[in-house]
Amino acid sequence: MHFVTGGAFNGKSKWVKEYYQLNNTHYEWISAYQRKAVPEKSERPGSGSVIVLEGIEMWVKDWVEIFEVHEIREKWQDLLRQWVEWEKQHPLCKVIIIGNDLSKGIVPIDAKQRKWRDVTGWIYQDTVSASQRVDLVWYGINQQIG
Amino acid sequence: MAEQSFLIFISGGVRSGKSQFAEKLAVDLSGLTPDRTGNTPYQLHYIAAGQASDEEMKTRILRHQTDRHFSGLNWITWEQPTELTKLSEVFSKHDVVLLDCLTTLLNNEFFKEENLWGNILFQEQIMAEILEAIEKITSSCHALIVVSNEVFYDTSGDQELIYTYKKILGKLHQKVVAKAQKAYLVESGIPLLMKGGKSI
Repeated sequence: MHFVTGGAFNGKSKWVKEYYQLNNTHYEWISAYQRKAVPEKSERPGSGSVIVLEGIEMWVKDWVEIFEVHEIREKWQDLLRQWVEWEKQHPLCKVIIIGNDLSKGIVPIDAKQRKWRDVTGWIYQDTVSASQRVDLVWYGINQQIG
Repeated sequence: MAEQSFLIFISGGVRSGKSQFAEKLAVDLSGLTPDRTGNTPYQLHYIAAGQASDEEMKTRILRHQTDRHFSGLNWITWEQPTELTKLSEVFSKHDVVLLDCLTTLLNNEFFKEENLWGNILFQEQIMAEILEAIEKITSSCHALIVVSNEVFYDTSGDQELIYTYKKILGKLHQKVVAKAQKAYLVESGIPLLMKGGKSI
């Protein structure tokens, strides 16, 4: 598993496409920005050898409306376990997770927004723990931080 | 062969010391140390995008002006809150140019006319104009240093206006960094070299 983070509009997805040469690879791109659902239980991640989950903070944003913080975190940890398991069963396959860093602004006035950025920060920490590699992307330049 | 031009990108948070670092870098690029008259082999130019629209802005501008004055160097200041392209032709190979800052310039262009910011063509146009001006100034002068801000790390993308502004600024940053020989992120006064080797 590979986690790619950094600020919004910093070229993270472009970097992933170039780094993994996705033009020449079979891949599945699941983007929360296009309102695609997160691949949940029982649905295998598709047949692609590379699966990219883009904009995971937007899934968290939806969950914030209906779940408690601990529920979101458990749900995410459960998903991470499934993807790690899937990678183990398919040694040539990889899950790449892309998420915007929401953590460096002023405290939002709106409580939902505070909850959103809090839980996003925590699930990013969980994602880092589950990943073999972590990169920060700053205007198209990557810095491997884990 | 044409003399090489340098493009350097510097960004950082508010009060991170990015402007001071940019000025120091400009002075270094202008020929290391000034002589007693304050003259350097290259002329220093400062493109100020800020508009003195209220008291707070006036104070900020004054602080930057005072800093430059007490540096003992002869800066030429260009007030250019919009239409950077007007400065495309004014510089030569003897000039080191500092643009402070891209965030403000885009902001001024963005709100030049009310209700235009949502128009995709307008967005594309201001982005293309700014990039073209940066390219032209870079190729005409010895070095251009572009200063900008880090505004991409919060939850404010919800509102369409802020989302659009961030999208355009982010794209501009990516393009400028791609063209730049060097790019720095300044953290609390410490410049982190993100792109480019040691020598210039």
